[in-house]
Order: sequence, then C-alpha cells, then structure tokens
Amino acid sequence: MSGNRKINGTPDRLLPHIRSIQSIRLSQDSAPLTETDGVILLLTKTIPLIICLAVVAVLTIVLCIFTGPAGFGFVSTAPGTADIVGGIRLPRVFAAFFVGASLAVAGAAMQALFRNPMADPYILGTSSGGALGASLAIVFLGGFFVPVFAWIGAVAAILIVWSIAGRRGVISVETLLLTGIAVSFFFSALVSFLITIAGQNVHQIIFWLMGGFWNASQSDAFLAAGILVPAGALLFFMGRDLNALSLGEETAAHLGIDATRVRWIVLGGSTLLVAGAVSIAGAIGFIGLVTPHIVRMLIGPDNRAVIPASLLVGGIFLVLSDTIARTFFSDLPVGIITAFIGASFFIWLIHQRGVAT
Amino acid sequence: MTGRQCINAENLHAGYGMQEIVKSISCSFAPGTFTGIIGPNGSGKTTLLRAFSRVIPASGILELNGKEIGDYTPAELGMAVGFVPQDEERPFSYTVLQVVLMARYARTSRFSALAPADYARCHTALEETGLTHLKDRSIRALSGGEWQRVLIARALAQETQVLLLDEPTSHLDLTHQSEVLSLMRNLAGSGSTIIGVFHDLNLAALFCDRLIMIRNGQVVADDIPSHVLTPEKIREVYGADVITSVHPATGRTFLMPLAVTTGRIAPDNIPNVLVISGGGSGTDLLHFLSRKGFSLTAGILATTDTDYLTAKALEIPCIPILPFSQIPAHSLKKMRSLFSRADRIILSMHPVGTGNLPVLIALREADPARIIVHLPEGRDFPSYDFAKGVAAAHFQDLCAAGAHCTGSFNGILGLLDTAPNKIQQFSE
Repeated sequence: MSGNRKINGTPDRLLPHIRSIQSIRLSQDSAPLTETDGVILLLTKTIPLIICLAVVAVLTIVLCIFTGPAGFGFVSTAPGTADIVGGIRLPRVFAAFFVGASLAVAGAAMQALFRNPMADPYILGTSSGGALGASLAIVFLGGFFVPVFAWIGAVAAILIVWSIAGRRGVISVETLLLTGIAVSFFFSALVSFLITIAGQNVHQIIFWLMGGFWNASQSDAFLAAGILVPAGALLFFMGRDLNALSLGEETAAHLGIDATRVRWIVLGGSTLLVAGAVSIAGAIGFIGLVTPHIVRMLIGPDNRAVIPASLLVGGIFLVLSDTIARTFFSDLPVGIITAFIGASFFIWLIHQRGVAT
Repeated sequence: MTGRQCINAENLHAGYGMQEIVKSISCSFAPGTFTGIIGPNGSGKTTLLRAFSRVIPASGILELNGKEIGDYTPAELGMAVGFVPQDEERPFSYTVLQVVLMARYARTSRFSALAPADYARCHTALEETGLTHLKDRSIRALSGGEWQRVLIARALAQETQVLLLDEPTSHLDLTHQSEVLSLMRNLAGSGSTIIGVFHDLNLAALFCDRLIMIRNGQVVADDIPSHVLTPEKIREVYGADVITSVHPATGRTFLMPLAVTTGRIAPDNIPNVLVISGGGSGTDLLHFLSRKGFSLTAGILATTDTDYLTAKALEIPCIPILPFSQIPAHSLKKMRSLFSRADRIILSMHPVGTGNLPVLIALREADPARIIVHLPEGRDFPSYDFAKGVAAAHFQDLCAAGAHCTGSFNGILGLLDTAPNKIQQFSE
C-alpha cells in the first residue's frame, strides 16, 4: 500500500495534511502477512489438543471400566468378573461419559448464546423442571417412570420459559434468562413441597437431586449417545454462529447471521441434551458450568473448538468423578463429587484472575 | 437527486416497542458518497442507522439497491451492509484476528474453512486500521479506542457496498480519528456508500459531502455541510450558540460553541450596559454579561482587538476603528451618544495611552453614578497608565466623583442589580 492513495472528494488544501497522517501510520513496519495463520493455529494447537483429549478419553474409559470396589479386573478370572465389568461397569461408564459430554456441550452453547461465561445449562429451568417431574413420579407413582417424568419436566420447563418470555414478539436474551430463573424458583418451590409430603420416599428425591448413575443400564448409555451425536453435531456446526452471537445478537445480524433462527436451534439442541442427561442421571451440577471454562483456558473461545473439546473434557470429568464416587466413597451421589471439584476449581479461578475468559 | 440510489428510504418509521423514534424520514443515498447524520442526543440518529441495517423493524419503504430490504436473506444483507457499533460487549477472550475473521462468515459455507483470500482481506483491514501488531491480542485486553478500531476493521473486512458507522470515532484519539475518517473518504471515493452518525460537528463537516440534521426523528436539514451548519440551524436544533466560519486551512465549515446562556434576566427588566474595554480586557466580561442576558453595547474597539472579535461573535454592537490610528471625531461623537443611552457604563480597566485617552476624557462627561470601574484585584490605576500620569489621574477623579469600583464579576453583577435608577436620559 502506498502513501499516494487517491483521496477523493477532499479539498486539495487538506491533502498534504491527511497524507502526512497516513504516512505516519503506513511507515510503521507491519509484520509480514501470514495468509494462513488460522490454519496454522488449527494444525498446531486445536486439532492436536482435541486428538490428545480423545486419547485421554479412551484411556479414562478403559481404566474406569476396570476400576471399582470389586478391584481391578484386567487379568482377573474370578467368577462374576465378566458380569461386573460387562453388565454393570461398562454401561455405567459409558452413560457417565455421554451424560458429562452432553452437559458440557450444552453448557458451552448456552454460555455463548447468553454472552456469559458464568451461564449454566440448567439456567432456563431444565434441572428444576426435571426434578419436579422426577419427584412427582417418586411420590405418586412409587418411583416408576422417573426418567420419563424427569425428561418431560425438563422439556416442559423450557417450553414454559419460551412461551412466557416470547409473549411480546421479540425476545431478548435477558428476558429469557430472567424468565428461566423465575420458573426455576417456582419449580423448586413445588419440589420442596413434594419433599415435605414425600414421607419415606424423601431420600429418593434427595438422591435424585444430587444425581448419580446407580441404575445406569445399557439402554441409558445408548439413549445418551443417541442424543449426543446428532445434537452435538448440530451445535458444532453452529460454532461460528455462536461465536458471532457471543458478541451480541445485533452483531451477529450485522455479520449476516440469522440470529433468531440460530438462537432457537441452539436452545432446542441444548434442551434435548440437558433433558436427556437429567432424565438419566438427575441434576448433576457444575459439569456444564466449569467444563467450557477449562476448555476456553486451554484453546481459546472459538466455539468450533470449544464444543468438541468440551464434549471430551465433560465426559472425562464425569467418568472420573463417578469412578471416584463408586470406588472410594461407597457409591456417593456423583453430584457431590462434581460440585466439590467444580466449586473448588471456581474458587481457584476467581482467586487467580477474577472471572476471566 | 439523479442517478442510481444505493439506499432509498421513504416515509420511514422506526422505534422500540410502542415508542416511535424515527418519524417519517425520507432520504436516499447515492454510491460514492459520505453522509453524516447529526442531531442532538435522543433525536433518532442511531435508530435510523439501525433501521437501515434491519436490526430493528421499520415501516415505510426501505430499499437497498432497488430491492426492498426485507427481501434480503441475513447472509445477503451481511454481504451488502456493514455496521460499526459504538461499542460492543466482549465477554470472551477472542483474539483481534478471530473477531475480524467473523466478517467473512456471511461469505463462507458453515461446512468449509475460510479461504486464503478471506484471510488476506482481514489482514488488509487490520493494516488499514493500524491493528496488525495487535492481531493476536485478546480483545478483553484492548483499550476502548483499540476495540473501536477492531469493530471498524471487521466492518471493512465485510467488503460491503454500504457502511453504517455509529459514532465511529467516539473513542479514538486525534490521529486515529482523521485516519479512520480519511479511510472512509477513500472508500466513498471508490464507490461505497458511507453513512455515519456524528456528535463532533467539525469532524462531520470536514469529512462528509452531505449532512442530514435530525431533530425528534425528523429531518431538519439535508444539504452540503456549509448549508446545514449555520448558527441559526444549530441554535434551532441544538439550542446552543455557535460561531461558524470557514477554516483557513481546510476550506471546510467549522464551528465553535459559545457558552450556554443561563440565568437570564426577565426581558422587561434588561438594563442597557455599555462596556468600555480594550486590548482583550473585556472579553471575559462580555461573555459573562452576555450569558447573564444583559443588553450589551461595546465602546470603540480596533478591529484587531480581541474584544472586537468577541463583540462580533456575540453580536454586540460596537464602534469599530482601524487599528493603530487616531480615534476619528465621528466615532467619539457616536460614543457620547452611547453614554447617554446606557443605563450603566462599565469601564473595564485596560491600558490607556495618548491614543485612546480621548475616550477616557469623554467618559468624564457621563454621570459618574452610572459608571462601574472594573479594576481586577491586585492591580492599581497607575499600572494601566501609559499617558504619563494623565490617565491615572482621570481614573482617580472618576472614582472620587462617585463611580463604583469593584474587583470581581460578581461585584459588577451586584452593582448592576442595584441600579434601579433606570434614568431615561434625553435621547438623540
């Protein structure tokens, strides 16, 4: 670029003045342009990191399948080993992986959508809706159909939030958030009421609220995977739209993105993921909040990288937490472990640098 | 206007919810023009801009290149119209380059990576805004001005026919202001349609071909800057007093605000005050009294005197004379007639030599009770005497004869307020 650019429409007397300003700027030596630095970043950082995480995920799953209160089963030929490993641990570990992955992916998408790195996938009332559904099933149906009712409750909560927030046509993200919080409190009040009348079922509700994989079956693992694969892919391909949306809905619109449509798609995908996770394992906290944080610290905020990486880290996090819970704490609700680790991490994060990323 | 219009708005209404901010605006914008939208706070400038970019709903006709703007898909609009907001949230630590690359989303399929040409365009935009050295910096670590330049770079990288700027230079320092606006001028020169909202009227006048002045959501003036930026229109729209002039270096209209008028005295009770000053001694006093709403007259002033320029700017009548010349007899005669018409005469102390001594002598003929001598604190009469003691003697006599002497503007104000003896002297 030369300093003699034609300056149109400016009075001639002004030209030397403007040129001198431009030459100051243009004379600053700029670094040689790399046309492909995005690709280089992808090849040197993002993709290797995701491959590493995938390897770690596979190792974690294998290790945890052979870990448990019944001891290591790698070379064991003791009777019952195959039943414990194949019938109990295998589905449980996979269910934990897919549930953790679902919560983390939904968390990453919600944080971008709500332009808030502190947003939680439960923020629109999914967990309290699921809790209400589960509590109703426990109190009135004797504990049958808990997952089904939890799923219905979670989805119903979101639908109620959407319809309340959307009554006046254009919905702002802020309205959605506030409505979600209000509906959450309302459902929590109903759950508290059910707890008071639950009688001897009360511990069942409380255990559900903390979340765990005691009853995880093969079908749970397949269900979680069946939701995660399409919904995760959908959110992954919405990655760049989420990037633009995370700077503001108007910004996204100015950049040529159909902000309203993307918002509904992302909310729909996240709701399916969270409702599925809640119906399988209860309201496990902190995975969806903390995992995207850790991932962004590792590879930055580009959602096309954050979503696949969160999937893997969330899965690893929950599989490890569940293994710790069942191996060392006689099957404590895993939500206690994730909350303990997650809250500690959060306090450390705040201590380190305020709430960054 | 003739020729193809890039944006054509007719009878456009827009607002938020029930509140209508833009009321029936019609205007069109040709390719290759840089238009500034000006107007006071809350007049609807930004709302109009946001209606043009379709982020708020508008009724009426709004066409972009002959096609109704509602018929554009979001991606088509992203390739046709760029927008630079005043500010934008930055909740996540994207790098500068990542943010600028978002400009190319509209042109790329979501299933494919950006092409080298996209990167090249973004690097050019970064270079044009002087941000190349910051391209890997986190946006959260940028200053307000750097961030605003990133937003400008992103809009440039969109390569759109239309560029909408919402106070694009509000956070920028002097150099970057000129740089960014020169860049916009160049873009207009190569056929783009640039529309910017401006608060700085001088910048708008310097860089825009055309200004649209808006008040209460309606167009008040739409013309070249020198026709829009007149003191009358500025007074009407902004309620502020300005002086306008043609800048000697740029040939463009520029304006200077004058202090806002406050504490006006009721119109039926305005004393006529004559201020006799010189050598710039009366500048502040004239501004002060003008703000207070007094009806002012100035005395004999050389046309090179600062006081003369002040009187001219404030539209205070005075008796101009050529600099470094003797005071003509007819000027002194005029002066005497002013003495008789003024309710109060303020002698703002200024150096008096043989040249302007006749004014002082003439002043002795006026009623001393109506004279206020403004002697700044810490100064004495001899320090103003350049007539070998004659002037100082006159000053002393004036005070001895009953003229009020005060050292402060508030003192003057007090004396003016306690001047009930509004003596209607013989008139000429």
